[in-house]
Order: sequence, then structure tokens, then C-alpha cells
Amino acid sequence: MINAVLVFNGQGQPRLTKFYTQLETSIQQRLISEIFTLVSNRPDGACNFLPLPPLLAASGTSHSASEPHNDVPSLVTYRHYATLYFIIISTSTESPLALLDLIQVYVESLDKLFENVCELDLIFNFETLHAALSEMIVGGVVIETNLDRIVAGVRAQGTIAKRPVNESKGTGLGAGLGVGGHFVWPGR
Amino acid sequence: MSLRDSKPGPRLAASYLKATALLKLVYLEMFGHDMSWASFNVLEVMASPKYHQKRVGYLAAIQSFRPDTEVLMLATNLLKKDLTAASTTTIALPIITLPHVITPSLALSVLSDLLPRLSHTHPAIRKKTIVTLYRLALVYPETLRAAWPKIKERLMDRTEDPSVTAAIINVICELGWRRPHDFLPLAPRLFELLVDSGNNWMAIKLIKLFATLTPLEPRLVRKLLPPLTEIIQTTPAMSLLYECISGIIQGGILGSGEDADGREEIASLCVNKLRGMIMVDGDPNLKYVALLAFNQIVLTHPWLVAQQEDVILECIDSADISIRIKALDLVQGMVSGDNLVSIVSRLMRQLKLSSGDRRATNNSGSGSGDSDDEDLEKTIDSAPKSRDQSPPLPDDYKIDVINRILNMCSQSNYGHLTDFEWYIDILTQLVRTAPLPRPSDDMDTLSASGRSSGGDISERIGNELRNITVKVQALRPACVHAAEAIISQLNSEARIGQPVVSGTLKPAAWILGEFCSELSNPEDVLGLLLQVTQKTSPPESLAACLQAAMKIFSLVAGDQLTPWTPERKSKISLLMARIIHSFEALVQHPNLEVQERAVEFIELLKLTAEAASSQEASTETVHQDPPLLLTQAIPSLFAGWELNSVAQTAQKNVPLPEGLDLDEPINPNLNFLLASADSISIPVDESDEFESYYYQRPPATSIASEPAINKLLDTREDITSSYQQPTEESYLDADILAKRKAERLERNRDDPFYIGESNSIQRSSTPIHNILQNSNGPDLDVDSIPIMELDLDKLSAGITHSQPTASRPTRRPPRQKIVVAADENLASSGLSTPKNYDSENSSEAAKVRAGGKKMKQSLLGVDSTSISALSLEDNPAGQPYDPEAQQREEAEMAQAMKEVERLRLEMQRANERIQVAQGVDAAGTVVKKKKAKKPKASTAETDPDGEVKVKKKKKKVPTIDEGGGAGPASTATDGDVVKTKPKKKKKARPVEIEDAGAA
Repeated sequence: MINAVLVFNGQGQPRLTKFYTQLETSIQQRLISEIFTLVSNRPDGACNFLPLPPLLAASGTSHSASEPHNDVPSLVTYRHYATLYFIIISTSTESPLALLDLIQVYVESLDKLFENVCELDLIFNFETLHAALSEMIVGGVVIETNLDRIVAGVRAQGTIAKRPVNESKGTGLGAGLGVGGHFVWPGR
Repeated sequence: MSLRDSKPGPRLAASYLKATALLKLVYLEMFGHDMSWASFNVLEVMASPKYHQKRVGYLAAIQSFRPDTEVLMLATNLLKKDLTAASTTTIALPIITLPHVITPSLALSVLSDLLPRLSHTHPAIRKKTIVTLYRLALVYPETLRAAWPKIKERLMDRTEDPSVTAAIINVICELGWRRPHDFLPLAPRLFELLVDSGNNWMAIKLIKLFATLTPLEPRLVRKLLPPLTEIIQTTPAMSLLYECISGIIQGGILGSGEDADGREEIASLCVNKLRGMIMVDGDPNLKYVALLAFNQIVLTHPWLVAQQEDVILECIDSADISIRIKALDLVQGMVSGDNLVSIVSRLMRQLKLSSGDRRATNNSGSGSGDSDDEDLEKTIDSAPKSRDQSPPLPDDYKIDVINRILNMCSQSNYGHLTDFEWYIDILTQLVRTAPLPRPSDDMDTLSASGRSSGGDISERIGNELRNITVKVQALRPACVHAAEAIISQLNSEARIGQPVVSGTLKPAAWILGEFCSELSNPEDVLGLLLQVTQKTSPPESLAACLQAAMKIFSLVAGDQLTPWTPERKSKISLLMARIIHSFEALVQHPNLEVQERAVEFIELLKLTAEAASSQEASTETVHQDPPLLLTQAIPSLFAGWELNSVAQTAQKNVPLPEGLDLDEPINPNLNFLLASADSISIPVDESDEFESYYYQRPPATSIASEPAINKLLDTREDITSSYQQPTEESYLDADILAKRKAERLERNRDDPFYIGESNSIQRSSTPIHNILQNSNGPDLDVDSIPIMELDLDKLSAGITHSQPTASRPTRRPPRQKIVVAADENLASSGLSTPKNYDSENSSEAAKVRAGGKKMKQSLLGVDSTSISALSLEDNPAGQPYDPEAQQREEAEMAQAMKEVERLRLEMQRANERIQVAQGVDAAGTVVKKKKAKKPKASTAETDPDGEVKVKKKKKKVPTIDEGGGAGPASTATDGDVVKTKPKKKKKARPVEIEDAGAA
């Protein structure tokens, strides 16, 4: 199952945190900062799977343990879009490559909801962010992967506020998260 | 609060404000601001009649409620009400919130409202409900009993919405590995879905599910193979391809089928696809998952993975640490005598490059005194070099790599090692590259916090060296020499005021002391050790150094055969005075072990010094024996039996002596002693550093000084000629290299097929050569004849470097006969020592394993142990689920448990009375008392089940957890059974005690 979904920007400021098991706020923050340290030190062209952060590695069985334990988070998958990092922490029952696709679906659905989504949208509409996520994942289990159904599900809950209109186009944030292009996995 | 009491208009406005404020609070919570204080307000907003405000409230609940949030109790009714609301969007809110806040009691009360949602007309509600029911089942397994038939019905329904089916598959996949037996009957339907659905997401999960089912039902394999093979060959989706392969591996399909040909075919198909994934350029993700898959294959089919050694080894050098670690995991399982050297040299090269020349520069000036000029030079020297280093590897990774190197080399009692001298050099190098523990000026904090991780790893390296020294007798001289080099390096590196903290010191000092007879120049080493004792901070190392210094002294001074001449007398007196002086600084060391050893040795040496001074030196006429204290008493302290390595588990086999009570304090007045010890102040003696500096002999210069040629070598050592096989130059320091080269020359001097370097030929010139040179006169230089210039050394050196594994064993067959001693053990220990040949490793692995088992719930992990204890099948089909009846049963159960507990206590009291009565007669009252005490502590071996279980159950009753094993369906009878069980046990106990008394 999926243990947590996190979104933070290039400075490590969280934009979305969703933990599917209850966790102390302070520990949540420590985990976020540990993962951010890991993510921000990745070289270009490195793979999208992180080694376990110390907090998780210490509490779970170590990675050298031969017997896989399916209850323990063992996989930290991330994707980097423009200014944002999307992270999914999961156990071994999830497929690593499918998780990458899942992040892609999530970002695409946000893009559809906001039309050219950018970090600012996520700040002003973070309720929608949660709504979209809860259309895809409930209690750590994936329930929907179809883009249209996710968008329809969120729209059914009410209108989505647009970002402030007086925003000038050249802010850089408005350039979108660069959805699509080479990020699309072949044949999802 | 006053706003609420006023008119409706402002109240609406207030609720809007409250919702907005709460939303902002949730946003702040994301940044780490605690909002538990607002939990009651969250509840208020959740109860708002407006959907949008309600949604904010539920979001706040998801994000901020914790298991100990008290208002959760109040929320139960609200949740139940919203679950039965008319609007689909409103129903969805409690459904998606429940997984985050669920507790067993909450699960019990909302279950009856949640179940009907499974047949809601809207598929979105159905799929969310299914998942929520799964999360309910995790904390309250009884959920499954009620929900499972309905979920199954949904799954079997072919007209069901595909996304609901997918959600069910996801849930079953989560449940699958915990209780695969329950899902075997579903296999036909699952198979149908796999073949027909065309949904890759679902197919991935189905394959994962099948991988857990196939071990239970071998017939599935034959059915699954064709579709899986087809998918592997045709699918364009990498994720599905990978999961197919991974499923085939995990499901044991590779190894189980009877059809050997097909199995071979699919195995090679998988491995080739994986190989393709690694080779495919530019996608590190595929590389990573392929390595993951290899990691699974290696458990069952190591030979298949071994074929892919080349690509895997490439991954070790990847820039990506995640890939590296996975590759390392693999490599560790693939090590053999043939590839060990090449693998380790790759790793060593990584370490060397990342750590840069931090140690190398220091090393170049090692041992040549501590003049200030040189220190200055060093710092200037190292500054520019450190700037152009490649980005340093994280220390954690380095430690991991070093651990793996040590594990690989020491596997199966050093079975894979062919060249121990190489290993010793590797160890020496590792000591230099090992990350230092964080420098700490404060001695107290360091000793208080124990050894840091950096200290740990260098100690482990030292322990390896110690193991080799003890186990491989043939290499003792080399090991002792290495230990000496290590200590002299540590000594020279430590600046004034900065203590030596490396954990290697302890084992290295031990080696020097224990095998001091192998030392080339014991007196120099003694001086070195005395110097080190002034700078060492970890007390364990310090104690080891003291002991080692004493052992060396006993060797130096205890020689019986040398005559007791005046020179010897004065020399030994001086030596003793020096040792006493050094040790005196430690007499008030805060660590008791160090203090004790220092005091003891000082007293002993003072006695000896008296004896030595009173013993007249022998003159030419009068022969005098050296004092007996020196030649007999002190050596006999240390020279006894040879120390051999002892198996880790041997201690357990030593029978416990009768009447040994470890709990009894030796000194009943311990607290007073400790309190009085606190008040003693320890004066800081600062003069020692100066005294040792000015009055003591300089450290042994001859040991660590090196020829100037090494400095030339040093300059270009980073350039490697080959990326396939790094040469030794690329990972060993210059001085170690020089030593290796010298050894090689020495070894090959008598080898007629080996022509050494020109200068070495001159040194060892043959008589014929001399005759030629003499007769032909100085004009004719034989050395200039081209045939002698054929420098085979370089040639052969090049070959050995490029293929070290292939050439080395053939070149030096006699070296192969190295005997590695096995660990010693007690004769009767066969049963309790499963496999003690891995000495350190196995025990460490066991420690890790034990730790892993002992470790409680991991962070973020979900505890699902209770769910696997529940059995679905014994639920009678016709009996509808009734939560109220359930509750009644629970109450009855609790009542019964109380009764049992009360009876049990009565029994125990009665029991004790009996024992007191019996205890009067003779023989071993102690034993009896122990027996009587044990049950109270509930650790008794005689009667653990009955008692412990009862206690646990009683505790669990309020949480309504049926994990204990007794099925609630048969509560009434069950209670009786439990009641009678302890009775029997209690009755049995007095008999046992009688036995003990009779025995």
C-alpha cells in the first residue's frame, strides 16, 4: 500500500502532505526534511527511486534483510516537475514503475483541473489538491487511475477557484509544470 | 463564543469564518505547526450543514487527528449520520476520512452503516467503501467476516464498473500476501480478468497477487505461463513487463514446474529481458528495477544472476547511489574466489576517489617527527587538493561499502580469499579511508555518547585484522607489521590537543601486545605505544594500549639468556622509569578499567625496579642472574596458552556454576561508594604533554618513513589505465604500494623466469656477472646489452594488474596453503551453534535479524498481524452478521476472563501455601524459592502459556480484539475451556516442586 504522498517545492516547503497512517506532526516534518535532503542531492539523470531516509531505514528492517516484509515502507519514489517534487512512499506491494505513472496521472489531472497548473495554483487551491488525491487514493490504496474519472470526481464536488487573474504571465511559475513530453511512460 | 448566541445572520458568517480559518490552520499544519488544540473546532466545522464547510472540517480531521485525539469519540455519531446522507459527495467525505482516524471501537460502531454503501448506485462510492472496509479490517478483523461475501459478490459481477473491480483487486492484493489461502477459490475469476481486461494497472496487481498464490497451488503455474509469456513478449508497457518478470520470480514459477524445457525457456527469457533493461541506455529507472528483480532472483537462482556479472558490476560504478546500493546487494551474493579481488578493488577505488587525499597528504610525512614546519606544510598542501575533489560520498554510504567489503572477504571463514597479504593491505587502506568519527573536543561527551558510527566501522576493520592475525598463523608477521604501521600513522596524524579517536587502535594495540614476539623492533613499538597512550581518548582503546605496552615490556626485559650486564641494567631501569612515568598520568583516569590497569602496572614496575636496582650487575668475573621478577614473574603474567578464536556461541554452552546469583550485589553499599566517588575531583595534568614531548624518545622513524620514490608515484596515482579493472595504484596508497612491490621483488628473486628491475639485479648480481664485469673492465657495461633491458617486470606487472585474479594464483602456488583456523567451541555445543564459521558476520547478521524481529511497529507501517489470524471460512453462510450479538459476546467473554483471572489468583495463593508447607524439609531451599518467584514475574518456563495468555487476553478485552485465537463464535464453551486449563496446570505444579525437592 501507499504510506504517504508528499509534494514540496525546490526549497523544501511542503505543498501537500498526506500520510495514510497517523504520525506525529514533528515526525512528519523530520521525514519531509530528510526526504528533501535526499531528493535535492540527486544528480541529473539519476533514477527516480530514493534510498530509504534514515528515519524509515532505522525503524524498519534494514535493506539487507533477506526476507521482504510487506508491511514496512520500502520504496520512496519521486518525480520532479518544474519547481515541484512529488513523492510517494510505499510498501513492496506496489509496483515501482506503476507508481511513477501514478504520479504522472496525478499531475496530469491537476493540469486538467487548473489548466496549465503551476505551484501558485497548489498554494491557493490546496483543498482541490487534496480532493484530487482522494479521488485517486483512499486509505493508501489506489482506487482510480483514469484521468477523466478523477477530474469528473473532483468537479462534482464543486467549482474550482481560478488563480488570481492579475498575475502577470512572465512570473515563471505560470509556465506550468511541464506535463507530458518525455515524461510520459511508454504505454501506461 | 458570544457570537454564537446572537442572531442567525452573524452565526452563518461566523461559521464561514471558522471554516476559512480552519483551512488556513490546516495549511499551517503542513508546515509543522501543531493544531491539536483546535480539534474541537474541527468537529464543529465537520458538523456544518454546508457541504463546502463540511469538506474543510473533514480535511482538517484527516490531516490533524491522531489516535489519541479525544474528540474522536464525539465524532462517531456525526460520521454515522453523514454515511447515510442523501448526497453522494457528502457520503464520500466520511468514507475517505475513516481510514485516517479509525480505531477498533469506531470501526465497530460505523461498520453497520458502511456495509450498505457497498451496493450504492454510484461506483465512486462503492470503490471508496471497499478500500475503507479494508482499512477497517486492519484494526478490526471482524469487519472482513461481514464484508467479504459482499466484496466477493462485487468481484464476481461481470457487469460491475471496471474501476470498482480494479479497486477490489487492489484490496485483494493487499490482503493476498497475508492470507493467500482465502483467495485461491477466486483464481479462475482473477485469471479471466488478467487475460481479458486489458487494464495494465490491474494486470500488474493481478500478477502480484498470483505470485503469492502460486506457491500454494502448483497447478496455477501451468495455467499462468502462456499468458505471462505472451505479455512479456508483446507488451509495450515496461511496468507490466517488469511486473510479469518479477511475478514469475516471486511466484516460484521458475523453479517449480515439471516441464523443464519450458522453464528454461522462460528463465532465459526473463533474464534476457532484464539484461536488456540494464543495458538500455539512458533510463536509470529501468536499471534500478532490473536490479531489484535480480535481487529477487538471486535468492533462488544465483547461477542465473552470476551470468550477468558484467552488467551488474557496471552498475556498481553508477553515479546514482540508489542503483549502486542495489548492485552492491547483488554483488554480495555473487562473490567467489575468482571475482572477489576485482569487485573489492572497484569498491576501494570509489572510496579512495571520494575521500580524496585527505589521509594521503598526512601520510607522506608520517613518523618523521612532529616539527611545526612540517605541520604548516601539510595544511597548505592539502588545501588546494581538497578543492578539486569529486563530490564526496555520504558517510553512511561509505560505512555501508566498507561493511560490505569486510563481509565479502570474510565470508565462510575467509573461504573466498586467495591472497591474504592483499587483504591486509586492503585493511590498512580502509583504516585510512574510513570516515572519522565527528571530531569532539570534549572527552566527556565522547565517552558518554559511546562510540559513534564512524568509530564503529574503523573498529570493525581493526577487528578483521585481529581475526586474520589470530586465525592465519602464516601471516602473523605481516599482520603485526600492518598493525604497527596503523598505530604509527594514527599517532603521527593526531595533532596536539586532538586525541586519537579511531576505533582501530584497540584491536591494533592488542595485536602488537599479543604477538610482540613477531615485532622487528619491540622497543620502538613500546615507545610508540607509550606516546599513543598520552593522546588516546576512548577508554577501551587506552586500556588495550596499556596492556599491550606491558606485554612488550615483558618481552624486551624478560630475556633470560642475555647476561645481566651494567648496560642492560641501566637500560631496563630507564625503560621502567619511562613506562611508570607514562602510566602515572592515567592513574586518575575517569574510566575505572584504565585506572585499575595503570595502578596495577605501576606498582608491579616499581617493585621490579627495586629488584633490578638491588641486583648487582654481573662483571667480567662475577656472573649475576637478572632478577627473577623480571625474567620469570612478569613474563608468566602474559605468556600462557595461545589465544585462539572462539565461536560466538561458545559462552552459552558453559554450564552455570551452582549457587551463582548474579542479581545479588557484591557490595551492598554501592550507592554510597558511588556518591563519595563523585566528590573526588580529578586534577587535569597538563604538563604531561610537554614532558612526553621533550623528555621521551621520538617515535620510531624507521617504521613509517618511506623512500622518496613514492612521492613521485603519488602525483599521478589518480589516473587509471583501465576502467574495467582498476589497477592497484588506483585504490591503494603509495606507501602500501611500495611495500607490495618490494615484497613482490623479494619473492621473485629466486624465480628463474622472473627478471627484476635493473638496479635490483646489480644488487643481487651473480658470480658470473661479476666475473664478466671484472674481466671486461668497466668500459663494457653488461647492463646495457639490450637483452637485459627486456623489462619483464613491467610486462608481467601489467598483466597481473589487468587480470589479477587469473595470474596471481598461478604465480604463487605455495602461498595457497594458508590455513585458516576455525573458531573453537565447546564439544557439546553442536546443537546451539548452527553455523559459526562466519565469526563476526554471522553473529552480526544474527544481531540484525534479532533486532529486526524485536523491533516494534515501524514508522509509517501498518500493523496487519491481527488480520491474518482471522478465519473467514468458518463463518456459517446462513447466519447474518449482527454487531449487537457480537457486543454481547464480547461482554460475556470479558466476564469470563475476569472469572478466570480471579480463580487463577486463588489457585496461586493456595499453591504458595502448599509450597511453604513443603519447603520445611531439607535440600535446596534456594531452588524452591526461585520456582515460587518465577511465576510471579511471568517468565517461568514451567507454566508460561496458561498464565501469560490469560493476562494478555484480559488486557485486550476492552479493545475488542480477537487475535488471541479463541473464536468468538464458540465463546460459551471456550470460556469453560480456558477456565479449566489453568486449573490443570496449577495442579501439576506442586508435583514438579516435589520433584525438585527430591532431586
